[in-house]
Amino acid sequence: MFRNALHYAIANIRSNRQVCLASIGSIAVALSFPGLFLFIFVNLNSFLSNWNREVQLMVYLKDDITQQQQVDIEALLQQSPNAEMVTFISREDAWTDFQTLFADKSGLLEELDFNPLPASFRVHFKEGPDRVDTIRGAADSTKGVPGIESIDYGEQWIASFETFLIFLKIFLVALGGILAMGVLLIISNTIKLSVYSRREEIELMLLIGANPRFIKTPFFLEGIFHGTVGAIISIGLLKLLHLYFQFNFEGTFGSMTQGIEFQFIGIFYIAMIIGASMLVGWLGSSLSVNQFLKSYQK
Amino acid sequence: MIQLYNVYKAYQSSHPVLIDISMVIREGAFVFITGPSGAGKSTLLKILFRWEKFDRGQVLVNRMNIGKIPEDRLYLLRRKIGVVFQDYKLLPNKTIFENVAFALEIMGADRKAIRYQTWEALKNVGLTHKKDAYPLQLSGGEQQRTAIARALVNRPKILLADEPTGNLDPDIASEILSLFEAANKAGTTIVLATHSQDLLRQSDHPIVTLNQGRILETQFTG
Repeated sequence: MFRNALHYAIANIRSNRQVCLASIGSIAVALSFPGLFLFIFVNLNSFLSNWNREVQLMVYLKDDITQQQQVDIEALLQQSPNAEMVTFISREDAWTDFQTLFADKSGLLEELDFNPLPASFRVHFKEGPDRVDTIRGAADSTKGVPGIESIDYGEQWIASFETFLIFLKIFLVALGGILAMGVLLIISNTIKLSVYSRREEIELMLLIGANPRFIKTPFFLEGIFHGTVGAIISIGLLKLLHLYFQFNFEGTFGSMTQGIEFQFIGIFYIAMIIGASMLVGWLGSSLSVNQFLKSYQK
Repeated sequence: MIQLYNVYKAYQSSHPVLIDISMVIREGAFVFITGPSGAGKSTLLKILFRWEKFDRGQVLVNRMNIGKIPEDRLYLLRRKIGVVFQDYKLLPNKTIFENVAFALEIMGADRKAIRYQTWEALKNVGLTHKKDAYPLQLSGGEQQRTAIARALVNRPKILLADEPTGNLDPDIASEILSLFEAANKAGTTIVLATHSQDLLRQSDHPIVTLNQGRILETQFTG
């Protein structure tokens, strides 16, 4: 039976070639949008995890800190969970580093006739999935300790970025849902055209005793075919975009993307796009065929 | 083989098409249904293979109470019934051989059986030499012979024909009638709806006359 269904599905596609191409093209374009946002999401996520790896806790000390307070703060930081290395940077070292970093801005440095930088502790943390949370915990536990001027680990920036990613995720799900409805309509209408172009044959099938499943299966296969090919083309377009970014922009954002490669959406997302598109293809064709067959139930 | 008890059917409640139709058609019988246009002949035939539902009464076909068959199982009833239409209902993009084979394909028969049975059916209606032609390349009589071959190819127990000679001239109509006679001799129960008096005069089978949805008379000629 499946061979026959496949045979009829291929015949359907051949006899409605233009409609089929239009449907696949529309699906490919429609799926490219969530694909594009998925691509952006995956890369932002990847950038975030790279930046997270660079995040370290800076504890700036007051100028009038006592020796004992400095020893206590160092001990406290060393006891922080997952703290790997605690480095003391004196005011003089900080000033030297600053001068080295901004050597090309010598005019600015010459105008400064005193050292404005505070002494600090730089704390490196071990790699781990909850690294940022660990740093956040360590920062919280040092807040208010005498001798500490301020604490910085780019908290606000990280929090904003994380919030942005959550919004992007919600946006992606909503966009995916809306476009899935669009794809459903496209496939449903295309299959409807296919069904109507073969209505005489379908009516005859019903008259001479064809199992409804036998009638429906070729159209289901056609819908699934449209969905699958549309999804594959959209993923292909996305891959071209990925290659374009790789060749033209990788490493050109300076320190921001240093050592970072543009990521392509993973196999899980590819399987998800194709799987969802197949499902929508089946649903769309199912809607049209069942509606048509129902009109013959008197 | 076919039993109808007080069958009533109306398309709109005020306009009944069949009123209290009762009849018994035995296995292997050949029955004509006749009457003027709008008498209910086609509707009666459509009810027998459940293309139309009926409002009241009981209909048994091949021991199946067809009013109780669920929609998704109707195909099992229709596989036991061959149907021939006035407009042939041939698929224009398929050859004569493919048109006849189609009735077996949709049942999932294997290729060898399809080839053999289709050839036999075409041989019985004298159309093997036209097997590669398309319906529109054939005359009306040849197209109807193709439709009869398709209706008989899976050896149904019952053959229903709705005005099968309606579009054909009298000589060709006689040829078509002889094909139904041959099928009947082979054991198929035949119910043929026609308003052609010529056709009725050529045979000695029972004739049920309908008028305005009621059975007017039943004649046993022979």
